[in-house]
Amino acid sequence: MFLTRFRVNTARPGARRLLFSPQVLHAAVMSSFPGLLPTDSSTPDAPRVLWRLDHNARAEVMLYIVSPARPDLTHLVEQAGWPAAAADPDTPGWQSKPYGPLLDRLAAGDTWAFRLTANPVHHIRRKDDEPRKRTAHLTPVHQMSWLLDRQERCGFRILEKPDSKRLLPGGITHMKQEHHGDRYELNVRDRRDLAFDKSREQKASKGRPVSLVTVTFDGRLEVIDPEALRRTLTQGLGRAKAYGCGLMTLAPLPVGR
Amino acid sequence: MSVLTLRLAGPLQSWGASARFTRRTTESAPTKSGVVGMLAAAAGIERGDDERLEPLAALRFGVRIDQPGTRVRDFHTAHHGVTGKSMPLSERFYLADAVFVAALEGDRTLLAALHAALRAPVYAPYLGRRSCPPALPIELALHASVTSLHQALQDEPWQAAPWYRRQRRRDATVSLAVLREADDHEHHADVLRDQPLSFAAEHRRHALRTVLSTTVEVPNPAAAPTRSAPRHDPFDALEEESARCS
Repeated sequence: MFLTRFRVNTARPGARRLLFSPQVLHAAVMSSFPGLLPTDSSTPDAPRVLWRLDHNARAEVMLYIVSPARPDLTHLVEQAGWPAAAADPDTPGWQSKPYGPLLDRLAAGDTWAFRLTANPVHHIRRKDDEPRKRTAHLTPVHQMSWLLDRQERCGFRILEKPDSKRLLPGGITHMKQEHHGDRYELNVRDRRDLAFDKSREQKASKGRPVSLVTVTFDGRLEVIDPEALRRTLTQGLGRAKAYGCGLMTLAPLPVGR
Repeated sequence: MSVLTLRLAGPLQSWGASARFTRRTTESAPTKSGVVGMLAAAAGIERGDDERLEPLAALRFGVRIDQPGTRVRDFHTAHHGVTGKSMPLSERFYLADAVFVAALEGDRTLLAALHAALRAPVYAPYLGRRSCPPALPIELALHASVTSLHQALQDEPWQAAPWYRRQRRRDATVSLAVLREADDHEHHADVLRDQPLSFAAEHRRHALRTVLSTTVEVPNPAAAPTRSAPRHDPFDALEEESARCS
């Protein structure tokens, strides 16, 4: 497995085209693997190509890719990078590092900071005789509960804040939902409502655009089940993985906290 | 040297410097003749009393544009209340939703008297035109020991309305335009016929005064803390790994 980082040059028209549509960016990411055909479909339980865009600042947009093979992002550097700077072998346009050592090192009880961009959805019906329908979670409380519901299965536990640092009490909302206040070391931000046509031909998609809601979670976790967490990190979490969702990355906790 | 600062805020204001006949225009900021006239009215100086007006007109004047407002035009078709005869058609211009801080620099006892007069005015103050009452108390403060008019306008907090301040919440400080009378050594100023000599009803007279346009930086109390994404670089975990191996 490889972890790859590419900084997007947001001033270039090519970058605008890539950032404008998750579909275009997905195609660009998938075409960076020489051994992979676009028509290849991944088997359900195998590691897959995951990617995510981090909008850290207005002009600092990072593309992270986790993939089984080492990618070649030359075409991205040419379209939306700094090709002249990349001509120097010391500063290639992207950085790729083996991900395996980190995955092997994961052990139960470790604590990490994490970031995850995901598409939190649930299936509901409004009336009993209606088919169930996939619907996005729209409020931060629901989006957080979506992740909290999955944490055990995915091999980690989100850390809880000490009592002295909590500012909001938990309780029950007016919709009879459990509200956990700010009990967890978890933040939801950067909600994006995306809608785009899947096909260029209007008829193929019957005029219905793909629409999805993505949010970015920042938090701290403790590893419970290293094997399950490895699966989460390499196979993704949640839906819309082709559209930049589901890639969770770990970073060391800041020192002194 | 003392400075008296005033807050001029109201739904409508109208400050004419060259308003004549049926087209009653407004400047984009309060005029000295308007503000001095308002203070003279508050102090109970009658219209023809040029001798008592003179020390007021000798004050140095400056104004800060805290919230510029929008210019509105009123097509005025009034009829006489008793006879029903139509009055001349006129156009009247106003500044809507504007807020200004005006400052007057001069002798301390005179300014203290004016400050007291604004709290108990003989004739009610209005913002340039009788139909434009102030929305908030006019008197702000009497700065007893400031070095200059400019300094007083710099020190006064931003007086714009909360909704207007929220619009600028991305800025920690705001740059506000200041129009003030030039010092003796400043030569690059405009002139405006706005120095009141007499408010006598039968013959109003105004002389020229200088107008120097500068800006001051004032902190924005509504500034929101910048919320940027927390630092997260997955490569940190890998760097640590490679350092350990080597």
